[in-house]
Amino acid sequence: MTKVLIIDDSAVMRKIIQRNIQQSGLLVDEFIEAGDGKEGLEKATANDINLILCDWNMPNMSGIDFVKALRGSGQKSNIPIVMVTTEGSDAKVEEAKNSGANGYLTKPFTPDQLKSKLGNFLLIK
Amino acid sequence: MGLDTVMGNIASDITESTKTLFETMIMMDLKHHGAFLVDDTKIHTDIIGLVTFTGKYHGVIGLFCTRQFALKVASSMLMTELTSFNNEVKDAIGEITNMIAGNVKTKLSAQYGEMNLSIPIVIAGEGLSITAVNNLPVVSDAAISCFSKDPWLMTPFISQDERFNIGLLLKESKN
Repeated sequence: MTKVLIIDDSAVMRKIIQRNIQQSGLLVDEFIEAGDGKEGLEKATANDINLILCDWNMPNMSGIDFVKALRGSGQKSNIPIVMVTTEGSDAKVEEAKNSGANGYLTKPFTPDQLKSKLGNFLLIK
Repeated sequence: MGLDTVMGNIASDITESTKTLFETMIMMDLKHHGAFLVDDTKIHTDIIGLVTFTGKYHGVIGLFCTRQFALKVASSMLMTELTSFNNEVKDAIGEITNMIAGNVKTKLSAQYGEMNLSIPIVIAGEGLSITAVNNLPVVSDAAISCFSKDPWLMTPFISQDERFNIGLLLKESKN
């Protein structure tokens, strides 16, 4: 059972990401959603998640703070994380990688770009 | 480099970022015309999406559009027919503003060093205007105060026969 956790403060963006994955042929059985890093941390530890997609700028706990918190938690700290964000500068990409993110996708993205990035972590039907 | 040159460069970045967004995630036609400066008292709109940024330069990137355009663009983004102005439409406008501002910020960061973006704010009403806090007369019953006397750099676009504007208010930060 493949579960993907989508952390983004925009419900519209969570819906778009979910739709793109469903239409791409990538194998996902369940999507779990969170509106900020804090909620994401709770859901990541409470569920058996295979992949996390995480925005950067969010209220309560930012995406980068979420990555650092999960990687430092010891629990479920090896779940792959792909940042999906408008933050596209080299410095931000580097910071995300150094903090433990496994992939990086800049918004806006095409369905093909999303599929290509997530194809490293999910099986194709 | 003068502020005018920087603003001109950012206007090009806004155009390029908006085109990319419409081609990749909105899937609606897009035409644009040259940017122009406008006094804040001349801005009248229904919907405002705002993202602020700080760094070597600080300011605001705003999306100004009608309710009808907001419905069209949110419907296209979500691939569903939205007929009422609900939270999903506001969320979509916030994300559109966020993606344009984020891409502009990435280009700015490459030239002027790292900058920080705010979370988007969406203001919805009818016949909204922005007025500077400088004792100018309020020109609308729905005026939003803005603590700047500088003009906005507006980049107008037309999509699906609807006009919308992306505005920029920019200042060089003092060290």
